[in-house]
Amino acid sequence: MAIATEQKPIELILARSLLDALSTPGCLIDLEGGTLVYYNEAVGKLAGMSFEETGPMPVTEWTDTFGPFDDEGRRIPFDEHPLTVAVRGGRAGHFIQRFRTRDSTDFEVAVSAIPLVGTTGFQGALVFFWPAGAE
Amino acid sequence: MRVRIWGARGSIPAPGPDTARYGGNTSCVQVTLSDGNMLVLDAGSGIRDLGPSCGQAEKINILLTHLHLDHIQGLLFFAPFFRPDVEIVIWGPPAPGRSLRDRIARYLSAPLSPVEIRSLPAKVSFRKCPADEWEIGSARIRAAHVNHRGPTLGFRITEADASLCYLPDHEPALGMPLDHVEPDWISGFALAERCSLLMHDCQYADDEYPERVGWGHSRVSDALLFARRTEAEHVLLFHHDPLHTDGQLDLLLGRADEDWEGLGGSPGALAMAVEGAELELRATE
Repeated sequence: MAIATEQKPIELILARSLLDALSTPGCLIDLEGGTLVYYNEAVGKLAGMSFEETGPMPVTEWTDTFGPFDDEGRRIPFDEHPLTVAVRGGRAGHFIQRFRTRDSTDFEVAVSAIPLVGTTGFQGALVFFWPAGAE
Repeated sequence: MRVRIWGARGSIPAPGPDTARYGGNTSCVQVTLSDGNMLVLDAGSGIRDLGPSCGQAEKINILLTHLHLDHIQGLLFFAPFFRPDVEIVIWGPPAPGRSLRDRIARYLSAPLSPVEIRSLPAKVSFRKCPADEWEIGSARIRAAHVNHRGPTLGFRITEADASLCYLPDHEPALGMPLDHVEPDWISGFALAERCSLLMHDCQYADDEYPERVGWGHSRVSDALLFARRTEAEHVLLFHHDPLHTDGQLDLLLGRADEDWEGLGGSPGALAMAVEGAELELRATE
């Protein structure tokens, strides 16, 4: 019998398990394909949607709605974002970013991204969102 | 292909009268292909008994899922290692850092072993399992990293239309609700999908599991759910806990049969792995 399913890399499966166990908002991004592969319930609460409903989506679908935006309110293209550049270069990154809610309210969030590198190479980025300027 | 179980126990050998029926040797499965090639899945203590049965085989491929002791502890007692005319290829999981040979040599060297790899008379080589499917004789082999502690592989061995999926140490339900998560997010799913025979970890009874979550092994109900979701044709529950006696395994199987039926599994498609059992896998329609 032929195999129809292609298993996700084990690093992503384990990372998704971790995200599901955390109350910190976090997601997994396939930087090569530009896909938001998974986001946890805490991100879903912030964004007002759930992974069960949306499934994976192109990162641009996310960024078109929520940002990030620069200080002048312009959308930062995914490929030019400093976090994308850092992680593609094999480095972690941490930036404070401005996002926008569905009702057009801007807010700042600290974003940390780390590259996931397995035995078969680069598998994507694990991204966490933290309250910016929390005391 | 013909499959023979030389060891179905997990963690540590468990010899004695209480385990005599299901067997006390740790993981080792012999796969004989239709072209005569022999594959050995894992090198637990069961491999010692396999040794004399290898006859004058000129080449033997040993496929290690991972390097936990119960999967390599029999290596030094495998008789063909002491024959200069045999070629033995040891396949294992890729891992960061040291080579497969160096990692195995940590066990096969002083002070843990009286004999070192370089002293073995056989022609021994070590290979990392490739990420893509590869061939050994008439079989196609596919390996994938699966959810267990440390770098661990599962294997799917296909010959013609018959396929064996071997997942002896596997906890796919860790943090993943197996009943509704998407198939591509389930560890080992692609290896097991619609295979002729699935050999799967069943180390814990359901009431034992809560104290052992994250140890890298499955409770019986998760093994059954995994088998049903992957639509495996036949299932052998494998890697028995060393504390489980024959009587306890009988009870576990009784409960598993009921659960299997409840999940819509075919009657007679589920069994416990028994040391010494031999099966012939034929092409399915």
